[in-house]
Amino acid sequence: MTLQIDTRPIWLILAIKSLRPIFFLALTSLFLYFLWMPAPEGLSVEGQRAIAVFLLCLVLWISNAIPLAITGILAIVLVPILGVLSNKVTYSLFGNEAVFFILGAFILAGAVMHSGISNRLALYILDRFGGSPRGLLLTVFLLAAALSFIMSEHAVAAMLFPIVIEISKSLGLRPGKSNYGKLLFFSMAWGCIIGGVATFLGGARVPLAVGILKETTGSDIGFLDYSIAVFPLVVILLFAGYMLLTRIFPIDITEVGGAHGVLKKRLKALGKLSFKEYAVGAVLAVTVCAWVGLGEKFGLAAIALASVVALFVFRLVRWKDIEEYVNWGIILMYGGAIVLGSALDKSGAAQWLVGMVIGDFASEPWAALALFSFLSILLTAAMSNAAVIAVLLPVTIGMAQTLSIDPVMLTYAIAVPAGLDFMFPMGTPAIAIAASSNYITVRESAKGGFVMFVTAWVVFNLVAAFWWPLIGMGYK
Amino acid sequence: MENYLDNPASLKIDLMLRGIKMEDPVVKAWACGCSGIDMLLPQDTLVNIPCMEEFTRNSPYTVRRTGERYFITDGKSEVEVKLVERPAFYSRKTSSGVQFSEIASVHGSYTVITPSPRCDFFNRSIECRYCAGNFDIRGASDIVYTVEDILETVEAVLKEKASEVIYLSIGFSQGDDGGIEFLKPYIQAIKKSFNCLVAVEALPPRENRWIDETYALGADSVLYNLEIFDKELFELICPGRASLIGRKRYLEALAYAAKVFPNGTVASHLIVGLEPPGSTCMGIDCFTDMGVVPILPIYRPSAGRALRIEPLTTEIILPVYKHLYRAVKKSGINLSWVRDISMVTTPAEIRGLVDEGKGDSLMESFYKSRLGLKAAWGLSTLRRKLRVVSNNDSDPSKH
Repeated sequence: MTLQIDTRPIWLILAIKSLRPIFFLALTSLFLYFLWMPAPEGLSVEGQRAIAVFLLCLVLWISNAIPLAITGILAIVLVPILGVLSNKVTYSLFGNEAVFFILGAFILAGAVMHSGISNRLALYILDRFGGSPRGLLLTVFLLAAALSFIMSEHAVAAMLFPIVIEISKSLGLRPGKSNYGKLLFFSMAWGCIIGGVATFLGGARVPLAVGILKETTGSDIGFLDYSIAVFPLVVILLFAGYMLLTRIFPIDITEVGGAHGVLKKRLKALGKLSFKEYAVGAVLAVTVCAWVGLGEKFGLAAIALASVVALFVFRLVRWKDIEEYVNWGIILMYGGAIVLGSALDKSGAAQWLVGMVIGDFASEPWAALALFSFLSILLTAAMSNAAVIAVLLPVTIGMAQTLSIDPVMLTYAIAVPAGLDFMFPMGTPAIAIAASSNYITVRESAKGGFVMFVTAWVVFNLVAAFWWPLIGMGYK
Repeated sequence: MENYLDNPASLKIDLMLRGIKMEDPVVKAWACGCSGIDMLLPQDTLVNIPCMEEFTRNSPYTVRRTGERYFITDGKSEVEVKLVERPAFYSRKTSSGVQFSEIASVHGSYTVITPSPRCDFFNRSIECRYCAGNFDIRGASDIVYTVEDILETVEAVLKEKASEVIYLSIGFSQGDDGGIEFLKPYIQAIKKSFNCLVAVEALPPRENRWIDETYALGADSVLYNLEIFDKELFELICPGRASLIGRKRYLEALAYAAKVFPNGTVASHLIVGLEPPGSTCMGIDCFTDMGVVPILPIYRPSAGRALRIEPLTTEIILPVYKHLYRAVKKSGINLSWVRDISMVTTPAEIRGLVDEGKGDSLMESFYKSRLGLKAAWGLSTLRRKLRVVSNNDSDPSKH
């Protein structure tokens, strides 16, 4: 805990502090107004209430006035109280497969990190392939991306951060001045971001999106299907990201001998590969294979949880060890988002909203995809990835029927761009972690990130237009 | 000799300089063998008058008793005074058997509590040459009173309504924090258990974050006593403070604390008589410009101390105190906090010397009342709640 004393004039502090109660008072008043105003034509009373809850949660998620998880709980509380869904239905939605998949993924990632195998792998690859400045940079970039295929992207960033810091120090790179220092940290952050959208495991947002999709339409997206659909996007963005970074910050060192000393020292300190590392690595490998081969048959959550059970049966991990890796806040927030999505859909509110608000702007399927992917990538610059899914997806799925678009496509249009914020620390933990190094500034991040923001949006839509039809997806 | 009996502020200064002769057996018994006796002069001016030191034998002042009434007289004229009763809790003990009077010393609105009388300056032979000031710190002693002892003492003080402010003081100890880490459990425990104001007298910490911490812990007032403003004399008389902390750090810490703590609650002693009056006046100006309240104790030579400086006379000292009052008023420093202390003459008490006929302002009178004290505690607590920002509230579900 760090302390700070606010030395601004007391009246100013009081004024600022009173903004919060005023904000909540105004928000509550508006919420009550939306509840009690006559329902617009074509909208049921339940639909009107669902929209009121949705708007309330939207403001709270965007403003971060209360923790995201608590907003999720608020949604779970309000939906049955206002009679949008019954108590039984509301709470049963929390038992959604996506929620349990996320829980399993957290525990698996926790076990992997706790065993030390991920750290060892990172050090080994960096040492093995990073022989030159360009080679080391590319290794950091691709390693961050590759690890984010199997672990949450922010866990990868947190794991690589101390290694990259030590490499930077050993090379004598000056914070804020060295181009190579900036390159290393941007590579780490961008690698995590791009890799994070490649599979279900890069972050919890894709499972959440799939959970909402399944709950509202019954449709599903397989583990492998998803990765195949986004594969070209990931490859193109990795290429574009590397090219862009080395153009903005030309490499300004000629050799990286010092870095190897550090990596070797760290590797040596780890000792030999332990049984626990072998075993956890094996469980993870089997799990990924099972997700790819048996995911459709048994469900992703069941496989994840079976692996978790195996970890405990073989005493590879203790509950105390993985507790710190399980983000219960995210799980609660997702539960709320799924309830909200279902409430909007089942009350007819989502369809009504689409017709009233977005319909005119997205009359064609391609335009709808472009619009929603743009909204998603734009919002994720200011909001957390998960909140973007919670806000946009229920409404988007509601539009699918009206526009005769496969809701699966619209789920991609929200879930994938929601993970592609390259600009600001508030939207992406990887950028926040990189910025905390003092090697890069938020301004530099915004500058380079904006080009990637546009690139990512354009590439996503091109992939949707030209790659998806080849794999059996596409506009209907 | 000038007649100081007409003005309680000048009388207080003169009495503190010259002391008083104790001839009446009842008064002698009242003093109870202490080196000083607390008396209430007119206009509720509280003073601790030396009565046992050698120099008091030459004092023109004596206490005369007429029935139940007491008068201070210089042989020509006299003023009626009241003897301040010795706190009853002094004679009691904590549950661990420590005499309360060993832990606490009541000085009017303040009760000084020293959780440990240790001062490492003594162990290194770099102690302040005049030590002790207004409380005694014995360097070699390793006594550390428990939090429970201190809590019982504070409870006794507050129950008896002996003081309103608990003044925690500590001597020098090695470390960057100026003694705050040591005082932390005491401050926290007092604040947790009682609705009282807490002042902390410590050494300036090396880093300002400790000053933030002091405020955040619950201290309502802080004192970093420079004692002597003149650089050379400071190094000569306070070798420990000069070599291990430095005059520059004292001034930096005071300036920073004045930004963190409320107006009028950051103070520093400048001992009158240890440096030329002009130098003290420069110190007063420097402090008040920073928003720090200068507190001017008067140097009194003590038996057994290495330092023997001829004390200044009241005629020389009075202009210094007048300068103090004017400087404090000019800087707009709140006078409600540093008041009614028997061991020093406070700026508020000097008012009568400069603005004759002016009494306490409405606010000062209010803060002396019981309601005012509660209001002061409440406002101080509210201010802390508004100003202290702890960055430990993160949202785990944010990402």
